[in-house]
Parts: sequence; structure tokens; C-alpha cells
Amino acid sequence: MDRHLLPEEIDQLLDGDVGFGTAPLKTHVRACAACRAELDDARALVRQLEHMPHFQPSALFADRVMAQVQVFVPWHVTALDTLRGFMPRTRTARAFAWGGFGSAALVLTALSLWLLTRLDAVIFAIDMVVGRVRAAVGSSLADMVAALFGSTAVHAFRTSGTVGLWMGLTVLLLLAAVTARAMRAVVTGPRRR
Amino acid sequence: MTVSLQIALPSSYDLSTLPDADVATLAKEGREAAFRELVHRYERPVFSLIFRMVRDRETAEDLAQDTFVRVLNHIDRYRPEFKFSSWLFKIANNLTIDHLRKRQLDTISIEGSPHAATTAEAEATSVDVRSHDESPLEEIESRELGSAIEGAIAQLRPEYRSCILLRHVEGRSYEEIAATLDLPLGTVKTYIHRARHELREALAHLRT
Repeated sequence: MDRHLLPEEIDQLLDGDVGFGTAPLKTHVRACAACRAELDDARALVRQLEHMPHFQPSALFADRVMAQVQVFVPWHVTALDTLRGFMPRTRTARAFAWGGFGSAALVLTALSLWLLTRLDAVIFAIDMVVGRVRAAVGSSLADMVAALFGSTAVHAFRTSGTVGLWMGLTVLLLLAAVTARAMRAVVTGPRRR
Repeated sequence: MTVSLQIALPSSYDLSTLPDADVATLAKEGREAAFRELVHRYERPVFSLIFRMVRDRETAEDLAQDTFVRVLNHIDRYRPEFKFSSWLFKIANNLTIDHLRKRQLDTISIEGSPHAATTAEAEATSVDVRSHDESPLEEIESRELGSAIEGAIAQLRPEYRSCILLRHVEGRSYEEIAATLDLPLGTVKTYIHRARHELREALAHLRT
């Protein structure tokens, strides 16, 4: 190389570029005192820049930032955190808890499988329970209607079938609504005056 | 895996050991400690960059605060495939350049803010470049040199200043600077080259 390094070439060496292009530049720097001085000078500047300190903002900077940040917790994170709240703290307690959950899951699975093999018995049992609940509710309603309107009304409902039952329920609800409104008017009336 | 483990045990995990992307992911999940960790990690670099751009402590604090508030309130937009710090510096630089354009406050004395009305105010806004482990003579020389560099940086064009500070103070690569400042790679190289040249010229008197 029969000339001094160009500023871009000094930059190349300064940035530590590698490759066959930099080899002649390095050779030239070793031989040329002016270019070596130029490069040393540039390196000194870079060193000084790299040692420039960071400045510290005021002590309350982070608090002031956080006061303006809206921390939004997604629902799934809240749900997971709530679940985690129920988890025991110690490893032994956690092992016991997992053991308990596992056992319960096993028992429930076995029970479900057993019930599936006896589906007809399950259906029969459900029918029986539903029938008993229906009979108990019907009896309570009949008692209530008999107490309010007498046994004639109960007989009328029973003979009119489902339509009669619905009509009776509608009248009952209307009466309840009118009564509630009237009571409200009585209670709020004196206050308005 | 690391993140899921941390989420499982949020109270016992040390956030300072996690990479930025993981901390940002935890912040997305509404972990206040993760937000604070991000502020703690970058308050000094962001504040320093802005301070060296605007040369006014109060303004720099306001701009740094705006930067963090903007970034953290939109943390859901952060994509982990990009560097969190590049995104943060990009917002900081944009806000600072906007501010400088509005105020046309691009060159100010190292001795303090030009808005300082009293000596005390000027002192409060001046740049302290002292190192804590130097002898009195070294301290004076260092302070003189540090002040000279700070002063020379303050004389650079704002775009040169951003580039040279990101390159040599924050140690960013040319590619990162180009991405952060939304500039072509060639332009970044040119700016840094010119900034170095101008700094060397401005500091030439100290070498003789």
C-alpha cells in the first residue's frame, strides 16, 4: 500500500472488522507511524467514550413511572394465582395433596366406569328420584293452593291438566307482583310526602 | 420452561437472573415486580442517553418517565423475537428528537441547563463526570477530559449524538442502531464516522 489509510479504513480497524480486506491495512499500520498514530488516537477516543458513566435519575423515578403504569392482570393469570393460593407451601404437604387428588380421581373414574356398565340400573334410579321429587313438589303446591283458595281449586287444577296448572301459576305470579307493588307503594308513600 | 417455572413460584424467583424477553413476558401477565425490574434495568441507560441529548436533568427525567410509561403501558405489543432494549431506546430517542425539534435545544453547556436562573440551579443541572477512585490530580484531569467529551458530544448534531452514544456508551451494534433509529445501515455508519471525526477534532487540543 503506497498511501495513508482513508478515514473509512481507520473505522474498519477501529470496529475490529475481520476479513482478507483488513490484512493489508494492518500491515500498513505496522509500517506507517502517521497512520498508527491516527489509529491510536481514534482508539483512545473510543475508550474514553466507552468509559463514560451512566447518570442516575432521582430516587423516586421508578415509583413515579409505576404510578402511571396500568398493571393489567389477565383473567387466566388471576385464576391460576387463585388456584396456586390453595396449594400447600411445603414439598411434603404438596406431595400429600397430589396423592389425595390422584386417589380421588382414581376412585371417581372407577365409579364412573362401574356405573356405565350398569346403565339400566342408573336410569331406573334417576327415574325414581325424579318421580319422588315431582310428587313432593306437587303435594306442596296442592297444600299451598288448598290453604289459599280451598280444596275446590285444587280439584279444578287437577282436572284441567297441564294448561290449568300453567294458568294457575300465571295468576299466582301476577297476584304476587301486584301485592309486591302495592306493598312498595305503601312503604315509599309516606317518604314522598 | 424457565418462565413457566417462575410463574409457578412468582414470590421465590429472582427476576434479576432472567433475560429481558422473559421479564417482559411476566410483565405482560400483570406481574408488577416484572415491570419494576424492567425499570430498574434500564432507568440509568435510558436516562443517560436522554440527558446527554437534552442536557437538562428535569427534562431528561420527564422524557425518560414518558418513555417507560409508554413502553410499559403497551407491553402487550412487545414481541420477544426483538430486543426489548432496542424497542425502549427507539421510543426514548423518538421522544427526545421530538422534544429537541420542538424546543430547538440541541447544544448546551456542560456546566448546566441554559434555563437555570441561579448558580445553584446551574450546578444542579450540570454534568458530574467524576470517577470515585481517582486521586485529586487525576480527578481534575479526568473531570476536565470528561467534561470536554461531554461538551464535544453536546456540540454534535442530535442524530450523530444518538448514534455515537448508542454505539460506544451503550455498546450496540450498527445493525441494532439502524433498527432502533429506523435508519439505513449505511447512514448509521456514516453518522458514526462523522461523529468520531468531529469529536476527535473537538478534543484535539487536549492531546497536544
